[in-house]
Amino acid sequence: MIVAERKPLPEIIESIAGVKRLMVVGCNTCVAVCLAGGEREVALLSSALRIAANKDGRELEIVERCVERQCEEEYNREVAAEVADVEVVLSMACGVGVQTMAQQFPNAIVYPALNTTFMGQPDELGSWSERCLGCGNCVLAQFGGICPITRCAKNLLNGPCGGSADGRCEVDPEHLECAWQLIYDRLKAIGQLDRLMEITPAKDWSPSRHGGPRQIVREDVQA
Amino acid sequence: MKSGSRLEQILESGQFAVTAELGPPQGSDRAVVDKKLGLLEGVCDAINITDNQTAIVRMSSVAASAQVCQAGQEPVMQMTCRDRNRLAIQADLFGAVALGIRNLLCLSGDHQVFGNDDAAKNVYDLDSIHLLQMVTRMRDEGQTASGTEIEGSVPLFVGAAANPFGDPFDFRPYRLGKKVAAGADFIQTQCIFDMPRFREYMKRVVDLGLHEKTHILAGVMPLRSAGAARYINKGVPGITVPKAIIKRMSGAGKGKAARLEGRTICAEMIQEIQEIEGVHGVHIMAVEWEIAVKSIVRMAGLLPRPEIAPLDLTPAPEPAN
Amino acid sequence: MQARKRVVMGCARSAGVAMQKLLTTGWSLPDDVEWVEMPCASAIDELHMVRAFESGAEYVLVLSCHQGACRSLEGDQRLANRVKAVQSLLAEIGIDPSAVAHQRMAPNMASDLRAWITSLGAPQPCLANEQDAGEA
Repeated sequence: MIVAERKPLPEIIESIAGVKRLMVVGCNTCVAVCLAGGEREVALLSSALRIAANKDGRELEIVERCVERQCEEEYNREVAAEVADVEVVLSMACGVGVQTMAQQFPNAIVYPALNTTFMGQPDELGSWSERCLGCGNCVLAQFGGICPITRCAKNLLNGPCGGSADGRCEVDPEHLECAWQLIYDRLKAIGQLDRLMEITPAKDWSPSRHGGPRQIVREDVQA
Repeated sequence: MKSGSRLEQILESGQFAVTAELGPPQGSDRAVVDKKLGLLEGVCDAINITDNQTAIVRMSSVAASAQVCQAGQEPVMQMTCRDRNRLAIQADLFGAVALGIRNLLCLSGDHQVFGNDDAAKNVYDLDSIHLLQMVTRMRDEGQTASGTEIEGSVPLFVGAAANPFGDPFDFRPYRLGKKVAAGADFIQTQCIFDMPRFREYMKRVVDLGLHEKTHILAGVMPLRSAGAARYINKGVPGITVPKAIIKRMSGAGKGKAARLEGRTICAEMIQEIQEIEGVHGVHIMAVEWEIAVKSIVRMAGLLPRPEIAPLDLTPAPEPAN
Repeated sequence: MQARKRVVMGCARSAGVAMQKLLTTGWSLPDDVEWVEMPCASAIDELHMVRAFESGAEYVLVLSCHQGACRSLEGDQRLANRVKAVQSLLAEIGIDPSAVAHQRMAPNMASDLRAWITSLGAPQPCLANEQDAGEA
């Protein structure tokens, strides 16, 4: 899922400087699951913004809303009236949701309240780790289901580098496992270690974001 | 001969090679390179010129290597994959060859968090093994990575690095095998302090027959002080300095006496390394201590360096396709 | 001038019991203190604490059972982590993070409870600070 986290409050407060009436709109999908932009987080941010405004003697009225999925226009239609009624829409969706809002309501001013970071998984409650970079050509079959593009700090395809020690990555040994140690251990466990004896050739990056912003069209489901 | 470089000639003739290292300045000051070259003259067979080592911006290895050639000495140009994509690398290699550079060391490169500008975007279009494959294709097939015909030739003696001490230990000799399969003519290892572990590594390397397909130069680093020994032991991932060596350095006292002990230990290690099967040379990494190299090489009994005919820099004939 | 508002939220199993004891001794809550009883302190959410400040509170004290005694196992620790998050949020908007505090207690600690409530938000006793000591 998409993982995001709330921007620092001073940054958000600065972005809405001078605004007297705004809507904070969350999303019930990915950002709700990673506890960054769901209903509860909308309530918390709104309360914090009102406290800050009060403290500085500023006027601030906040409309609190949450839509099912902010990247889909049909859900955002539910708050169309509110969008027209506020000066600024402060979106707690991921970057996709923010852009959908801005595109759907071209006369609205839409600001992000979150920093969208990565596609990842929950390791345990309260902890999420990056797992997929969307390279456009999945090679997980070659590496025992562990992605070296995403999880190796240097996206080596023929790792490990010399900086792998005790299963940790030298870039951040406290937090990062060496992806190649993981790949080695996994391939050994499933009897596919011979995959590591072959050279994996250089990657064609053109299907990835390096080839330009991407689009997928499925004509079979179109009119 | 792949490039006809001095380093290649010495290794191919079965003589024990000596290489050293030179870090270019954090700027454009040519005089820094000249000074270090003066200290290394006649003391080694080729000098590694680092490429934004530890992700700290320095004069480019192409430029500094060209300066080394101008001074009549032989560089081993280091190239990492961190800062350049395959297009820029190939362009730099064409230029390097045109400027007289004949040895190349292919590295993935330290991540920029270790440097002085971690806001930079890294590249890593290729890894070191891809780089080896690409360069050997340029040299042996006269083609770029995309299959375009190359105008001129790319006579480079190509090497890679190896870390006998990294994890997973069991896999390291096989990874070396991949570098050899990718075209590594020579290998320079990470600096050795743990001799027994290195011996074990070389035993496996020899078992795999890799010593017959590539020339391995063992890396050594002279210690300046007991403090340096302790720091390297604790602070550098994958490298342990045995207690015995730390003890010797502590016992030697400070300053000049400590540095002499450090150089002596290094020379002793070089002599020990010469006896290990499969090792064809030594790579001395006297970081910002180039002046130490001469005495180390002398103490190890490796002076004077062999006389080799001056390098013929006229372009090699076009490779037969 | 607005009366200061102090909010005390506590677990029914420890603070709640102690509070009952205090009230039967004839002691009463100061006028500006609001007492909120929760079935378990681990149910005290960041939102509860922040909304208390939004409603005008200047100090919030949350009370849980001791470590290991919480009915919800690590409820007291979860609460402690949430209090840290609220402190961080307060600091971001320029409010002294010590405005929210967490104490652990047992049901028989009525006198501690009274002392904490009495001193909640009161200025600390005058101790020589480092600068003064340096100059002395």
